Amino acid sequence: MPDTHFYRYDSYDRTLLAERIAQFRDQVRRRLAGELTEEQFKPLRLTNGLYLQLHAYMLRIAIPYGTLSARQLRKLAEIARRYDRGYGHFTTRQNLQLNWIKLEDAPDALAALAEVDMHAMQTSGNVVRNVTADHFAGVAPDEIEDPRIWCEIVRQWSTLHPEFSFLPRKFKIAVTGSPNDRAAVRVHDIGLRLWRNPAGETGFEVIVGGGLGRTPMIGKTLREFLPRDELLAYLEATLRVYNRYGRRDNLYKARIKILVHEIGADKMREEVEAEYQAIKDGALKLSAETIAAIARQFAPPVLPSQPATVAAAEALKLEDRDFALWLKSNVAPHRVPGYAVVTVSLKPAGSPPGDASAAQMEGVAEIAESYSQCEIRVSHEQNLVLPHVAVADLPAVWRALSRLGFAEANVGKITDIIACPGLDYCALANARSIPVAQRISTHFAELAHQHDIGDLKIKISGCINACGHHHVGHIGILGVDKNGVELYQISLGGDVDFGRTALGAILGPAVTADRVVESVDALVATYLDHRAAGERFVDTYRRVGAEPFKERVYGAV
Amino acid sequence: MAKNLNGELSIVSANRLVDGVVVFLDDAGQWTTTLERAALARDGRAAEILLDRARAEAASVIDPFLVAVVENDEGRLEPLSLRERIRASGLTFDAIAAEAVRYA
Repeated sequence: MPDTHFYRYDSYDRTLLAERIAQFRDQVRRRLAGELTEEQFKPLRLTNGLYLQLHAYMLRIAIPYGTLSARQLRKLAEIARRYDRGYGHFTTRQNLQLNWIKLEDAPDALAALAEVDMHAMQTSGNVVRNVTADHFAGVAPDEIEDPRIWCEIVRQWSTLHPEFSFLPRKFKIAVTGSPNDRAAVRVHDIGLRLWRNPAGETGFEVIVGGGLGRTPMIGKTLREFLPRDELLAYLEATLRVYNRYGRRDNLYKARIKILVHEIGADKMREEVEAEYQAIKDGALKLSAETIAAIARQFAPPVLPSQPATVAAAEALKLEDRDFALWLKSNVAPHRVPGYAVVTVSLKPAGSPPGDASAAQMEGVAEIAESYSQCEIRVSHEQNLVLPHVAVADLPAVWRALSRLGFAEANVGKITDIIACPGLDYCALANARSIPVAQRISTHFAELAHQHDIGDLKIKISGCINACGHHHVGHIGILGVDKNGVELYQISLGGDVDFGRTALGAILGPAVTADRVVESVDALVATYLDHRAAGERFVDTYRRVGAEPFKERVYGAV
Repeated sequence: MAKNLNGELSIVSANRLVDGVVVFLDDAGQWTTTLERAALARDGRAAEILLDRARAEAASVIDPFLVAVVENDEGRLEPLSLRERIRASGLTFDAIAAEAVRYA
């Protein structure tokens, strides 16, 4: 099956990558020969996505807007096997991290990536990072327009943008084309939400100054409605204001959210609008031809007509409880009748969230080739998505995923945990995340119980930088170090989906590592005792308040 | 400036330039991946000398630094901080193997 419905690099993209890899190869050679000091080399390797972690170098590979072809996923598996330890970690920014890359191999790994139009540029540094999107882009029934068209336009504009190569701090942009936000746009430096105004025109709500980390903030709307063709001019104006006024004197106050908070949304809007008025009719105005040319690359695949219900799938649903649960939690409607969107859970019980072996990556690629138009998505919840599965093929896809260990019927449930790499890998972390996630996942492994608990999102970060998004977890868990001991601070009430963005509130004193599972158990028990019909965990928490939860965790445990 | 120097005993660690692997300076001024072979400084002055020596031998490593350690009951060295214990002994869980489709 041809994988033609993807953005394909042109000669400009390929030349840029080839030159960049040759440049980096020479930089690595000079570093290994002692011609460059680490101080000189560090910014060069970081700008190519190569970090130094606790045990080894880590290569962070950009997966633009979370879209992968089967060919690309196979190449990622090949790179993981050849240059790493044969597995990778899918991240909350729709990237892939390889944790054991050798410096001497890094240029070859980047060259292998370039063979499938991929790179690791701008996955580090104070630049515009990989632009993320709704992982159901192009297939969600509620979508107004495919956000990836706009992500790609932003990617081309922001890649090696000379004016924005030394921003005060890193800059993250997310785009959703649906009223039901699945891209967490309100907790990004800039969030873009496509919507249709009463005149029937499509444009962007521009949300600026959101973010998690040390100082979590929900973004402010600077523009209710921005015409689509003015997107780049408005982004350029916003980045220019940030570049000019963003704080460079204090690392912890350098993000745009602090600037917006300090000067206020009104003043920020005024500054951006003034800049925007000066440039909006210039070279950045997008022509209809340009938009159409990019949009053509995201034209949906031609899907043969399929029945909306299939007897074999219906029968299996009745016969096999696990399949029935999987349909309920891991399968979502597709905009084309007869098709479904399948979320591949990278969270089998007891496993490190978001990790996949090379064999599993190849297995998912093979399933995508057979059943999903060669296409895979990476979600910010550290799962993969097969976006175009015929309803008739659901039993076969479920069986194939089961053989890979990726058919856990837990999407959106208590074991679908987001966790950062934590102190096992990360040079910034204060506490471990993955072992905590594993213990919770093992404790709540029973699927029927998970489905009885319902939608409950646990998000775990190993430090205040919040890569595990703990601020927006229904249950957020933050690892801290107190006098050399790992403690875990629990917060409740965070949310990020479907426009219900809220930051969690700390429940009480941090608990020791060996009390995390029993504390989560106590929280769940409190919820089950108090829940009204149809309430999710977070709904019950909001209705009854923190006290009953606090009492059960700190009073009775 | 020394990092993590909270105890009396210390060793020097760094990451190896070519692959980032955690290494320790041994008595012969060589870099070893084995913590037990690390040269031990028993007071602050000895630690400074050890670190100076490490910096002089730093061409093949990145940013040498002091690690506070203790000797356990069997006389084996053990870093004081969890972070350094993890650096010395590796992941605290089993990562999935390249050909595995099930997490062990």
